[in-house]
Amino acid sequence: MSIPLILHGLTPIHWSLAGAGIAAVTLTLLFVTNRRLGVSSSFEDLCSFVLPSPYFQRNAVLSGRPWRMPFAAGLVLGGFLSAAFGGGWSPTWALGMFDTAIGFGHAGKLAWMFAGGLFVGFGTRLAGGCTSGHGVFGVSNFEWPSILSTASFMAAGIVATQVVYRVLFA
Amino acid sequence: MTLLYILLGTIFGFVLSRSGAADYDQIQSMFLFRSFQLYGILGTAVVLTAVGLWLLKRRGRTALGKPLKIELKPLHRGTVVGGVLFGIGWSMAGMCPGPILVNIGEGKIYALAALAGALCGAALLGAVYPRLQKPLKLPPI
Repeated sequence: MSIPLILHGLTPIHWSLAGAGIAAVTLTLLFVTNRRLGVSSSFEDLCSFVLPSPYFQRNAVLSGRPWRMPFAAGLVLGGFLSAAFGGGWSPTWALGMFDTAIGFGHAGKLAWMFAGGLFVGFGTRLAGGCTSGHGVFGVSNFEWPSILSTASFMAAGIVATQVVYRVLFA
Repeated sequence: MTLLYILLGTIFGFVLSRSGAADYDQIQSMFLFRSFQLYGILGTAVVLTAVGLWLLKRRGRTALGKPLKIELKPLHRGTVVGGVLFGIGWSMAGMCPGPILVNIGEGKIYALAALAGALCGAALLGAVYPRLQKPLKLPPI
């Protein structure tokens, strides 16, 4: 019994196939272009276009731009194609469980998402990575910082969702 | 090379979109232990990537013959503190960094607010980094 996607109620592809696809992209990126997969750094890349502080103008940020920006654009394109070929692309506010259990209107949804995004942006950059750079690449490479960080964000995600859906909006 | 990065990003984005890794309900179902889907995805990706990395490191060179280089991430208190904060955000938004971009592509309007939040969050970290360096033992800029 698989839970349908919010996107047109599509049935998700099998987890083993999705995992294989992610591994294939990660390994191709390293084998062909010598790049370590990681998405959250692209937030710093975007910031570096407008923020002049030494933190955002450091070499680690600027040197990543030539690959991170096209890769990030690809992520947006991949989502677009998925919608376009999966029932048609159209702007939507649909948010599944959030709509049924929490039920905030548009403004509340935007505020909630902005707050969630703040935690994501601040947290991933403090931790030095996210689900891709720590969770997939780092854990696969048996790196201690990544194993610790992954355990931390998985545990915090479990606690946060349990509090939201089993306590606050049960 | 730019085209290859776009292509790889597109494949990655498509897989995240269709697998549920970029789906709010799937993320909550993972954290509520109602669905195995996301655990299966992450587990499969890690096992296969680990095997591939072992083979690539044994070879030691990229497809173009350059020495393989894997930049390692530093360990400090922010590794855990940042991880905890990120986990809260992942639960709230139902999106981690890649899926924020994927959801924008799918046409989810609220994902734009998540991106705005993430950029402000990254900017905020950059602003307070010098003050966090000592208490969290962060590396120099």
